[in-house]
Amino acid sequence: MGRVIVVTSGKGGVGKTTSTANLGTALALLDKTVAVVDADVGLRNLDIVMGLESRIVYTSMDVIEKQCELSKALVRDRRVDGLMLLAASQKNNKDDIQPEQMKAICDKLRTTHDFVLVDSPAGIERGFSNASAGADEAIVITTPDVSAIRDADRIIGLLQNARIEPINLVINRFSPQLVGNGSMMDQDDVLDILNIELIGVVPEDSGVINSTNRGIPLVYEDGSPGAQAYMRIARRLTGQRIPIHNFEQKGLLNNIVNWFTRKK
Amino acid sequence: MNLSIRQLFGRKPKSSSIAKQRLKLVITQDRFDVDDRVMTRLHHELAEVLAKYFEFSANSVKMDLKQEGNSYILVADFPYTKFHETNMRQ
Repeated sequence: MGRVIVVTSGKGGVGKTTSTANLGTALALLDKTVAVVDADVGLRNLDIVMGLESRIVYTSMDVIEKQCELSKALVRDRRVDGLMLLAASQKNNKDDIQPEQMKAICDKLRTTHDFVLVDSPAGIERGFSNASAGADEAIVITTPDVSAIRDADRIIGLLQNARIEPINLVINRFSPQLVGNGSMMDQDDVLDILNIELIGVVPEDSGVINSTNRGIPLVYEDGSPGAQAYMRIARRLTGQRIPIHNFEQKGLLNNIVNWFTRKK
Repeated sequence: MNLSIRQLFGRKPKSSSIAKQRLKLVITQDRFDVDDRVMTRLHHELAEVLAKYFEFSANSVKMDLKQEGNSYILVADFPYTKFHETNMRQ
């Protein structure tokens, strides 16, 4: 039986869809069978981020309305073995789907896949309840800024109430330079506030915009810091023990500068 | 000591520490901010239990959340008029 993991954040624009695309692909590159599910009905994007937009014929809505079989609605990613996408309907809205219907889809997908990653829409309303309905676990994405962290805390509370466990945190768009000069909270600050398990830190990577432009998830071209970070998270998801990478800049000059400018 | 050296170099407190401080405060508030409907339900349920032992008029009951330092306190006032002694012996 596969694991159903909801990828969520509360706040929009922190990298849920990019993370779902990259983690799904990364897990497939690690020889796992993966289904990524876009739960953002009406505002779908996982298809275009993954470069599969031209191949979508059916959506989860068609499956729910029994217009087609679930297996027929899944789009296979031809670049890697074992990766499938279930797109969201673009012409419906979030209220057209019931949480139980999403759960039924996830439960079916987990019989044929090692991992089912559900890309949740932003917000705490119906779209979020639908996305998390079938999940056993959650990955919460945040960026190190006040609004994203506050919303992440709210989402974590809702996930805890729904008895979804474990809840793992990904800190996205982390900038070692900004942390070094004291304008960005570091991972300890974020963990001190949110108090959940950290599964990875993804550094700010200009490669992300290029990869989204092309529809080729970053992890296909390893070597970039972002791709490596997603690969590490995927490995941790499969149970490998890999220490959290320390992005903070070290060196004598930095230490001297940090000593004079360090925070209380 | 640290502060004075930093002042000597003309440094303001780092914006990341200000962010952390403000977040901690606001998140504590968010976490303890109880939904009005939940408070009403709690009010009814408490009244139901207490009514087995005490007699009180429903409109004299007051419930409130108070903040004291870092912790929150639920204060409930149920001014009663009579104690049902029979229940005591059960």
